[in-house]
This record gives sequence, structure tokens and C-alpha cells, in this order.
Amino acid sequence: MESLFLQQIANGLIIGSIYCLMAVGLTMIFGVMKISNFAHGDFLMLGSYFAIYTTLCLTGWVGWISAMFIAAVGVGIIGFLAERWLFRPMMLRNADIDVLMLSIGLSIFIANAAHVLFGSSPKMLTDPFRSQNIDLFFFSTSLIRIFSFFLSVLAIIVLQVFLTRTKTGTAIRATSQNRNASMLMGIDTGLIFGLTFVIGSAFAGLSGVLYGTIVTITPTMGGLPTLKAFAITIMGGMGSIKGAIYGGLILGIAEALGGNYISMDYKNAIGFIIIIVILLFMPEGLFGRKGR
Amino acid sequence: MKSRWLKWGKIILLFGVLFALPSAITDRYFQHIMVLSCIYVILASSWNLLAGYSGLLNLGHAAFFGIGAYSSALLAIHTGLSPWLGLLVGAVISALFGVGLGVPALRLRGPYLAIVTIGFSEIIRLVSMNWVDLTRGSLGLSEIPPLTPIKLAQNFQLGFVTERNAYYVILICTILTLFVIRKLVKSEFGLTLESMREEEDGAESIGINTSQYKLVIFMISAFIAGFAGGLYAHYVRLLSPETLSLHETFTVLTMVAVGGIGTFVGPIIGAVFLTVLSEALRFFEEAINLDIRMVIYGALLMVTILFMRKGIVGVYYSLFGSHAEERER
Amino acid sequence: MHTAKEVIMNGKTISCCLLFLACVGLVSFSNNVNAANTIDIGFTGPFTGPVAFNGGEMRKGAMLAVDEINAKGGLFGMKVNVVFGDDESQPQKGVAAVKKLISRDKVIVVGGGYHSSVAIATSEVCEREKTPNVIAVAVSPTIMAKGYSYIFRTAPDAFQMTDGLFAWLAVRKPKTVAFLMENSDYGRDSEKIWLAEAKKLGASDLAHLYFQIGDADFTTQISKLKSLKPEVTFSIGSTTEEALITKQSKELNYVTQWVGAGGHMTEEFFKMVGLDSLYIIAGSNEPTLAMKDPVTAAFVKAYTAKYDGARAGVFSSQGYDNMVVILDAIKRAGKPSGDLQKDRDAIRGALTKTSLNASQGLIQFDKTGQITKARSMAVQVQKVQGKAQLVVIYPTELANGVYQPPVPWSER
Repeated sequence: MESLFLQQIANGLIIGSIYCLMAVGLTMIFGVMKISNFAHGDFLMLGSYFAIYTTLCLTGWVGWISAMFIAAVGVGIIGFLAERWLFRPMMLRNADIDVLMLSIGLSIFIANAAHVLFGSSPKMLTDPFRSQNIDLFFFSTSLIRIFSFFLSVLAIIVLQVFLTRTKTGTAIRATSQNRNASMLMGIDTGLIFGLTFVIGSAFAGLSGVLYGTIVTITPTMGGLPTLKAFAITIMGGMGSIKGAIYGGLILGIAEALGGNYISMDYKNAIGFIIIIVILLFMPEGLFGRKGR
Repeated sequence: MKSRWLKWGKIILLFGVLFALPSAITDRYFQHIMVLSCIYVILASSWNLLAGYSGLLNLGHAAFFGIGAYSSALLAIHTGLSPWLGLLVGAVISALFGVGLGVPALRLRGPYLAIVTIGFSEIIRLVSMNWVDLTRGSLGLSEIPPLTPIKLAQNFQLGFVTERNAYYVILICTILTLFVIRKLVKSEFGLTLESMREEEDGAESIGINTSQYKLVIFMISAFIAGFAGGLYAHYVRLLSPETLSLHETFTVLTMVAVGGIGTFVGPIIGAVFLTVLSEALRFFEEAINLDIRMVIYGALLMVTILFMRKGIVGVYYSLFGSHAEERER
Repeated sequence: MHTAKEVIMNGKTISCCLLFLACVGLVSFSNNVNAANTIDIGFTGPFTGPVAFNGGEMRKGAMLAVDEINAKGGLFGMKVNVVFGDDESQPQKGVAAVKKLISRDKVIVVGGGYHSSVAIATSEVCEREKTPNVIAVAVSPTIMAKGYSYIFRTAPDAFQMTDGLFAWLAVRKPKTVAFLMENSDYGRDSEKIWLAEAKKLGASDLAHLYFQIGDADFTTQISKLKSLKPEVTFSIGSTTEEALITKQSKELNYVTQWVGAGGHMTEEFFKMVGLDSLYIIAGSNEPTLAMKDPVTAAFVKAYTAKYDGARAGVFSSQGYDNMVVILDAIKRAGKPSGDLQKDRDAIRGALTKTSLNASQGLIQFDKTGQITKARSMAVQVQKVQGKAQLVVIYPTELANGVYQPPVPWSER
């Protein structure tokens, strides 16, 4: 039984799950460090390229699992360096504009360095299922997308467990809620900052691997995911992981349905329109916290 | 008295040099770069009004530029409106959009404001790409009429198609714009903006209606940017949605940051420096066969924010003494 | 109060002097006339950006022609030098590049030109600057319709490209068609032509869908097409987008007779999609499929020899022909006198009288500067010896295979 509507909903949920994965890292970093990282999408792009080069050396499932691992770790390391050298000095300055401009500079730098290193020819990431299609009851999609969906869900669940059940995770949440109080309680905020940034970047890298199976991989592919990740985190409230999840799924479905029933051309604008409308009425987002 | 004469003397000398440049630099390609520099000076200064003086990080500035450009161009093409008037009409339309963006921006800070302004810019860009009947989309709008020639004598008219003549006109516009901005910044209005930037809540507590000021400065900034857009449209005579891209906004942002954000001469220095650097790097790129221009931009921006907060202007003042700075600001 | 000494030693004054010196340096640099003993030809194209690969192919073809003639001693004893201008797939960058070629590099003719949108803009500049412009790839009829005297095109326009394709379409006679097109000159112009032809054959058009250059997710569009079930889906886009469309069609189990333009079926395309591309039909002028023509065969041989076995595709042959025609015109125009405008006009005149056999066939220009005839075939991707290959299916005198209707994904 085929239904275009259900098909679009399914499309939306699946791509939405990847959006969630992208956005979760970004919102975590903002929640804890109050840093908006404009280069987040470019970290995603690096994750995709890590995956390409890994799967070139190792094939099949071995290559695929390694690719995800290497992408997450590799981009995590890059995040660590970025936090240490670039963003940490900014934390002392307390100027929003500066951080944003710095991350914009980082984004420009990474995207164009990738252009020089990897060339501008688009590349494709072959998934281990070889684009095999699967026909489920109400819709059809590819095996890799089903895989991506479940992997994203799993990753986010693991993150939530880490944040709520472990000591370090609780420390992260505490710093996010109240930095000064956390310091008074003896939490090493420097360490927490580094860790948060690494985790957030690792998630970006991982989402790059999954996103890379849907699109072609180019050095400038990070621009759009950055904007969508920001749109999602703002929708959900910056710093709220729950919000990022809802936001990601809402955006995915809205794009699929809007693109199908309203207009294909403005599909990418849907996210922006939604956040502008939301922010008009709720300046802190759907699940945001009041004040800074 | 003597210092007054000195000041005017320096200014007249500067103007003299600027106007004489095309006679010295006759290569049309370099003249083209000079014209572009002027346009970017106007655009960068207008962005600086928002981000530098008022603390409002507007990442959708390219939209104002593009709206002014497309409005003026389309009016000239479809209604035959004189481009001279079109410049102003385009600027006004852009100013209206400026107010339109200012309204949602009133309650937003930091990244929220940044994303909304990006959203605004991207929506406008998508409209210009998809409303093909109006803007010809990514096909581009070509055959835009140049600024209509001025009849000076019986058989002699001054056209503005050549780079040289366009330079004179645009230079004059640039100087006028900078004059207006300077007056604005030095006035009480300007001081209020700076106080809002530093401590918004404090400003509100002494009775300043920050919302009003924000709307006004968005309007003015958009007007000037739209004006620059019109100049660009009638000079290059070709527009495409790329003019409205984030890339353009980031270029302007880098110019102002590197020049010196929040200062008067910062955007000027940044615009000229980066436009010239961009072209110089082109030769370098051909030599080493690598596309490193934008990589250098990104690195330059990061280095500036980290180490040279006030840009080139800041470096200059720290080297040559601060009493000059107080006089300048 | 300022004494003269204080004024001079002031930091401001020093910086102003430095700035002045820098300007003087800039001025002398800019006015330095490059007395060259070379023949300078401009060549534009997208050498960076999403279609850099295709731009590179065009460039390689052109350089083959240049190297061939320089090996024989150049023209009039002078070496032929090509100055490349990167348009980065954007009309404004293309205009800047062309302006630089014309006024700074002082080239006598501008070749190249891949994107229709860019070529429309750059041809304006060339016409205004009275510099001959020979377009290599861009197909939009709009370019030549303006009747500019300095603009020529060695490539077929959108109409000429479809002749072979329409032969196939007339036989197949689909009842329902749909369109999934790139939102550009290239896409929309082709759409109009194909729609007219389909309607002539009595087909009804079920959908007109578009995408932007650079889009990556087509699931929405493909899902919609799947629900409409057109017999034939026309699609025009660049290599990347078409590869993704092919891949996502497989993922969504969408089967239709895809019809496109051969432009996107490059080596890169097949690397990306492999056997998933079976059954796609396109209009094409692939040189490797026309080896019966001796000039074409010679070109393919020389190209593969020079570039280490790289496949000579459409863009390579178009770049080659473009340069060959330009060099031939320069030769017939006579030795450059040094007066730039005079030389450019002489070349323009020589171009109008062009008549030579190139790798795409005979090249002659009509009144508007467009080539009079173009060799165009309908090709289909078929499985030959386990690999995806282009097979000519129409016109019958050039065909080396027959049309195969597409089978469901499960059977492939």
C-alpha cells in the first residue's frame, strides 16, 4: 500500500534523524560553553572525507565501521585543538560577536583548506549495502538510510545515558546550567569545556559519515548543514538536547512535506521561516531557558 | 588655527591624489579594482554601523546590497527609470527591508540574531533564484543600463561606462557617504548607539528607547548598502543571485574586522586592503597553482580576532600613540 | 602646536609616505607593458567548483591542440600561449575573468565557455570590447540569438543536440512524460525544446520539477515522480546531481525511462554510479562512439596518448575543436600586426570563413556565428562485457546497438 504522504513522512523522519545528530553536538557546545560554532558543518565535512579515505583502504563492513570510528575520533581531535587554541582564549573575553566571527573565520579556513587538499571534484561514499532498496509496508527507502536512522537514535541515547548516569556527564550538565556554581563545587570547568567540545565535534564527524551517503561530498558541503543545525538548535532552544531532537525531526518532516506539497524550490528556506516565526513569539526557542 | 589649516590641507591633498589616480594608473583592469574598492568601502562602512557601532551582528547584509542592486536594475530595465533615481529608489526599498529585518531583531541577541539575519538573507537569495520571471534567477540579469550620461555641452556628454568615469562618480558617492556616516557617528545618535552596544540594559535604564534606535540604524545601514548595490548594478551591469550570498557577507565582515571594527577608518582600510590583496593573490595563485586565496582570508580573520581585536587601525594606534586615537574616535 | 619637525616625524605622516610609495610602486607595476613574442589566446571555463572536472576536460582538449601546433613551431614563428580565466561557474566571476583577459592580458581572441549562464554574460563583454569570442560548450540558443558579430560557437546549440534523441523519441512515442530539471538556462531551455517535441508526439506532461545546482537530496522530487509514474522522465543537470538522482532512484525503487543530455555522462559519472546507470538515454556527441570518422579517431588517439590513457569525452573534443578553429582562423588572418584591435578584427573576419573537419565533424559558421551542422546521436547505457557502456541506438546509420527498455531494479 503506497501513499505519497506516508512516504514523505518517512523521508522526513529519516533525514531528520541525521539532522538531530548534527544538531546535538552544536547545542551541547552552546549549552556548556555559550559558543556558537559556525564551523560545525565543516567539521561534518571533514568527517565525510575521513570516511572516504578510510573506505578507500578498507572495504565492506570493516571499512564502514572503521570509517565511522575514525571520523568521530579524527574530528574530535580537531575539535580539541580548535577549542584549546582558538576558542579557549575567547572564553575570557565574553563577547558574542567575536566568537561568531572567529568561528566564521575557522569555517572559511577549513572549507578552503579542504578544497586545496582534497580537490573540488565531488566524491561519493559507497555504503556497505550498495544503495540497496527496501520496500516496507507504507514506504520504500534504502537500507543505508534505515541504518542511519537507527544509528543516530542509538548515538543520541548513548549520549543521554552518559549525561545523566555518569559523574562526568553530570558535571557537564551542571556546567551548562550554572558555570560559576559548578566551579565553586570543584568542577574543573576547563576540562569540561574541552570534553564537551570534543564530544560535540565527534558527533559532527559521525553525522558527516551518514550525511555523506545521502549527498555528494565536496569541500563546501558544510555550509548548509551548519545553517540547518543552527536552525534546529534555535528552534529547540540552544543548550537543550531534547529540543535539538524535536527540532531535527520537525525540520526533516517539514522540509519533506513542504517540498512536496508547497514548493520544491524553497525547500531549504522552510527551516529559516520556521525559526523566524518561532523566535518572533518565543525569543528563547521552544525549550530554551530564560536569560543568559 | 594652524592645525585647522593643516587638517584641511591634508584632506585636500588626499582628495587630489584620489582623483588623480586614474590618470596615473591607466590600466583598465586596475581601474576596475579601484572602483570595486570604493563600492566595498561603502558597503563595509554600512555594515560597520550595525556590527561595529551598535553591536548588532548582521549576517544578512548581502541581502540589502542585493535588494538595492536588483531593484535599481529592474526598474531601469522594465520602467526605463533613470538609474540616477533608481539608485535612490533601490536604497529606499532596501531601507524598508532593513526595518523589516529590524523588527524581529529587536528582542534577539548574539547567535539568535545572527541566525535570523542569515535566514533573512537566504530567503531573499532563494527568492531571487527562483522567481525567474522577475529576476531571471541564476541565469543572471544582464544588459543593465549604465548611469545615464550627463550632457555637458553641445556635442559632448560624460558617459559612465568606462572604468575611469565610473570611478569618478563612485568616488564622489563614497566620499559623500563617508561624510554622512562620520557626522552620524559623532553625533549624539552615534554615542547612544555605542552605549547600547556596551551595555544595553544600562542604556534602557536611563530611558533610551533601544528598540527605536535599533530600527533606525537598521534602516540607515540598509539604505547605504542598497545604495552601494545600485552603484554596483549600473557599473558591472550584470547581477546574479551570488551577489546575495553569505559569501559576500563574510567578505564584508572580514574587511571590517581586519580593518578595525567599530572605527571610522577601519572599514575603509579593510575594504581597500582586501580588494587589492584579493587581486594580488590571484597572480600568486597562478604562480603556485593552488587556490589559497580564501584560505588566507579565513586565517587572516581568525588571527585578527585573536590577536588584533581592533584590526589594522588598532595596530596602528598601539604603535603610534593613543592621544591620536582619542582625537580620531 | 605643531612644529614642522613634529609634523614630519609624526607616525601618521610616515605611514602616509609609505602608502604613497606603495602606490607609486603599484602604478609602475601596472603600466609595465609586457612585450611578448607570443600569440596570446584567452580561454575561460569552470576550472574550480562543482563542475571543475568537466572544465578540466575542456581545458585538456584545448591544450592538446596548442601543444600540437607549438610542436610544429607555433604560428608565424611565435609560440602560442593560452591564458586561462576561471569563471568558477558564476556569471560575475566569468565577466571579471574575461575583462582581465581582454584588457590586462591583451589576448587576441577568447575561447572556452562552458556554462550557458556565464557565456551569455561574457559574450556581452566580448562584443562590447570588439574581441572575437568562440564558445566551446555552452548550448543555450539565447547566446547566438542576439546576432552579435564577434561571437561564434563551435558547439551545437540545444536544438541541434537533440536531433538524434528525437529520432528515438518518435519511435518510442511515450504517452506520459515528466521533467526534473536544473534551474538554469541550460535546464530550462532544454525543457522547452523537449516539451514541444513530446507534445508534438501526443504525450501529456505530468510534472515539472526543478532543483538548484548544488542540491543533494532529491528524495522529495523522486517520491513525487514515483507516485505519478511517467513513462519517460527528462532530466538535465550536471554530473553530480544526475549521479545522486540515479542513486536515489535506486534507493526509492523508482523505475522510468530516464532521458538526459550526454553532458553529464562523463567518466566521473560512471565512476560514481557504475551499473546503476543502465538504461539511461541521452543525446550525445561522444567522440569514442564515432571512430568511423578519421579526424575523430586521430583526435582520440592523440588524446589518450598525451594524457596517459584518459578517456576522450565530449568536453575534451569540444575543447580541442574550439582551439583548432581559433588557431586556424589566426593562421588565415595573417601575422599579428601589433595593433590589437586590427588583429582582433582580422581574426573575426577569418572566423566567418571557417571550413574545416574537426573531431566533431565539419565546422562552418552560419550568419549568426553558430555551426551549421552538428553530429548528434542518441545513446543508451547498456551492459557490455559486465561494464556500463554507452551504445549508439539512433540514428541507424551510426548505431551499434538496439534500444533496451528499462527493467525493474530487482531484476538487475
